Amino acid sequence: MQPRRRVPASRWLAVAALVLAAAGCTPQSVTEQGQAVWSLYRLFLYIAAVVFVVVSGLVIWSVIRYRRRDDELPTQTHGNNRLELTWTLIPTVIVLALFVFTLRAQDKVLDTSGKPDVNVTVTAFQWSWRFTYVGSGAEIVGSPETIPEMVVPVGQRVRVKLVSADVVHSFYVPQTLFKRQAIPGTDNTFDLTFEKVGLYHGQCTQFCGLQHSDMVFRVRVVSPGEYQSWLAAATRRGQAGKPGT
Amino acid sequence: MATTELPLPALPEAHHEEPAGIVEYLTTVDHKKIGILYIFTSFAIFLAGGVLSLVVRWELARPGLQVLGENTYNQVFTMHGTLMIFLFAAQVSTGLANYMVPLQIGAADVAFPRANAMSYWLYLFGSLIVLSSFFVSGGPAAVAWTAYPPLSTREYFQGTGMDLWIIGLAVVGVAGILGAVNLVTTIFRMRMPGMTMFRLPLFTWGVLVNQLLILFAFPPLTVVFALLFLERNFGAQFFDPTFGGSPILYQHIFWFFGHPEVYIIILPIFGVISEVIPVFSRKPLFGYRAMVFAFFGIAALSFGVWAHHMFTTGLVYLPYFSIMSLLIAVPTGIKVFNWIGTMWRGAITLSTAMLMALGFILVFVVGGITGVMLASPPIDFAVNDTYFLVAHFHYIMVGGLLYGMFAGFYLWFPKFTGRLLSERLGRWHFWTFLVGFNVTFFFQFLVGLDGMPRRIADYQIQRWETANLLSTVGSFLIAVSVVIFIWNFLVSIRRGEPAGDDPWEGNSLEWVTSSPPPSHNFHHLPEIHSERPAFDYRHRDNPAFAGGVHSDPERLDRG
Repeated sequence: MQPRRRVPASRWLAVAALVLAAAGCTPQSVTEQGQAVWSLYRLFLYIAAVVFVVVSGLVIWSVIRYRRRDDELPTQTHGNNRLELTWTLIPTVIVLALFVFTLRAQDKVLDTSGKPDVNVTVTAFQWSWRFTYVGSGAEIVGSPETIPEMVVPVGQRVRVKLVSADVVHSFYVPQTLFKRQAIPGTDNTFDLTFEKVGLYHGQCTQFCGLQHSDMVFRVRVVSPGEYQSWLAAATRRGQAGKPGT
Repeated sequence: MATTELPLPALPEAHHEEPAGIVEYLTTVDHKKIGILYIFTSFAIFLAGGVLSLVVRWELARPGLQVLGENTYNQVFTMHGTLMIFLFAAQVSTGLANYMVPLQIGAADVAFPRANAMSYWLYLFGSLIVLSSFFVSGGPAAVAWTAYPPLSTREYFQGTGMDLWIIGLAVVGVAGILGAVNLVTTIFRMRMPGMTMFRLPLFTWGVLVNQLLILFAFPPLTVVFALLFLERNFGAQFFDPTFGGSPILYQHIFWFFGHPEVYIIILPIFGVISEVIPVFSRKPLFGYRAMVFAFFGIAALSFGVWAHHMFTTGLVYLPYFSIMSLLIAVPTGIKVFNWIGTMWRGAITLSTAMLMALGFILVFVVGGITGVMLASPPIDFAVNDTYFLVAHFHYIMVGGLLYGMFAGFYLWFPKFTGRLLSERLGRWHFWTFLVGFNVTFFFQFLVGLDGMPRRIADYQIQRWETANLLSTVGSFLIAVSVVIFIWNFLVSIRRGEPAGDDPWEGNSLEWVTSSPPPSHNFHHLPEIHSERPAFDYRHRDNPAFAGGVHSDPERLDRG
C-alpha cells in the first residue's frame, strides 16, 4: 500500500490538465450573446475545479492518514455543529453568488429589446431546415441530402423566429453557445449578433426521428455588403419559382 | 449491563432450512426472496441494456454508419435508456430495500408480503411487455426514452412497439406505487420496540425518502403514459396544438416525474454509502441528523426543479427553476462532507466495499458539479442535449448508481449467502471499472462542449473521432469489469470463504442475525439504544459503550 503515497501530486497535475482541456474545448463564442455564456461557463468551471480538488483531496488524505493500523477503536465522534453549519453555509453562499451571475448572463443572452437588422423565420421539419427572410422573398430550403445555409451579416442583430412544421426539434449552432427548441404550435424568438465572419456548423439537437443525425445546417456570416448582394440574388431566385437552395 | 433479549411473539424454533428451489421462488412472499428476485431480474435487464450501449459505442467509434442503420440505431439507444432508467436503475434498489429494510428495523417481514410479491410480478411482466416489442413488426420504440410527442404519436411512429412500451412501463409504474406503499408502511409501522425514527439506519432512511418520492412521482408518470396511449389509439388530442393541445404539457408532466426519478435512483445509494463508510472507518456516521434532513431537503427540492430539463424550450420561468436546481447542491454537499467527516480520524480499511464507496464520492462529485453548471440556464443553452449532458448524467447514473450498488453488494453479499466475495477479484473489479468508466465518460464532456449532439447515429465532424474512439474503448473496459464482477459472484457463491454472521463489525441489526438470515429473520433481537444496535450489542460488556451511551444521538459527543 506504500505506493499510494505518490498519488496526490500527480493527481493535482492531472486535474489541472483536465480543467484546461475542458476550458479549451469549449468553442469560443462567435456571437455577442454567446460571450456572456462563455465567461459564465469559465466561472462555473473554476469553482467546480476548486470543489473537486478540495473534496478529492480530503478523501485521499483521509484514506492515507487514517488507515486502520490496529484493533483500537477510534474516538467515536458523532458530529460537530459548527463544522456542519460551515459546510452548509459556504455552499449556500457560493450557489447564491452563482445564481446572481447566472441572472446577469441570462439577461444578455435573451435580450431581444434591440431593433433587429435582419428577420429570419427558421422552420424546422423532418429532417432539415427552411430559412425565410422576412420582408424579402428569399427562402432557403434544405433536405437531409442538401445542407441548407443561413446567410447573415456580421455585426448586425439577427432576429430568429423559430417554428416547427411537425415534431419537436432544436436549433443549435455550437459556436453561438446557444440552442432553442422548435415546438409545434409555438413561436420562439431570439437574437443572434455574429461578431466574426465565417462558416459555422449547426445541427438539430432534439431527437426528431429516423434521420435526426442528418438534420445539419450551416450559418455563413458575411460582411453587410456581401449580405445585401446575396439577399438580392436569393430574392430574385425566390421570386422566380423558389427552386430551393 | 447485559443486553436483554426481547420476547418475540410466536417465533418458530431455529431449524435447518433447505436451499429454496424454483417453486419456492415462484410462490414466495418472503421479502428476502422477493428482494433477490428483484435484484436478479434488474441485473439481467442491466446486462441487456449494457449490451445495447456497447452496440451504440461500437457504432460511434468512427464517423459513418458501420454497424447499424439509422432506424436500428434509434431503437437501440431508445431501448438502452428505457431498460436502464425504468427497468434497472429504479428497481435494483427496490430489490436491495426489500431484502435489507425488514432486517434493519428488526421486523420479520414487510407490512404486506403478498402485495410485495404482486409488485415484483407486475414489474417482471411489465418488463417483459416492454421487451416483447423487439419481436413485433416495426420493432421497438425509436423515440428516445423520453418519448416526446408529437414524435411518439401515431402520426410519426406507427409501430405497435410504442404501445407495448407505454403499456409495459405503465404496469411497472403501478408495481412501483404498490411497492412504495408497502415499504413506507413497513418502515412506519413494523419497527421493533426501541427502534425510533432517529435510530433508523441511513439506508432505511434513504429507502423511506426514495419510496415517498415514488409515491408522488410515479402517479403523474402513469397519467402521462395514459394520455399518450389515448392520443395514439383513441384520437385524443392532449398534445396536438391544432386542437388546442400542447406538446409542452407532456414535457412538464414527464419531467415532474423525471427529475424526482433521479433522486429515486440515487437516494438509496446515498444510504448504502452512509452504511459502508462508518463500518469501514470504525466510527459512527458523522452528523446523523443532518444526513436525514439532507434527504428531506433533496426530496423537497426535487419536486421544484423539473423544468430545468426544459430551459431550451423558451417556455418556462428560468430563474425559479434555476435557483431551485442550484440549491440542491447544498444538501448534497452536506452529505459528501459528512462522509468525509466520518472518515476523518477513523480507522479505515480499504475493503472492496469501501473502495467502491470512495469511487462513488469522487465520480458523484464530478456529476454534481457539472449538474450545477446545467442548473444555470445560459450554460444549459450551450450544452443541453449534447454529449456534455450525456456525460453528466452517466457520471450520476453509471458512476453513482453502479459504484453504490457494487459497494452495497460487497457489503451485504456475506449476509445474503454466508460467504465472502473475493477481495482480490473485487480490487480488479474496482480498478477496471474506475479506469473504464472515466475513459468512457470524461471524453464525452469534451466532445459535448465542442458541440456533438446526443442521439445521433453518425457524425460528420472529424475532430470528434478521437474522443468517441476512446469512449468506445472505455465502454468495453466497463464490460470487462462487469464480467469480473459476475465471475467473482459465481466463484464466491460456491467457494467463497465462510463469512460468519458479522464479517465487517457492522452497525445495524442485520449483522445480529445469521447469514443468511432464517425465514423469519431473527431468533433473538438485542435492545435498541442507539442507531448502532449491532455495535452496542458487540460492546455490551464494555462499560464505555454499554447501553449505547456512546452512540445515543440524544447524548452525543459532538466534538
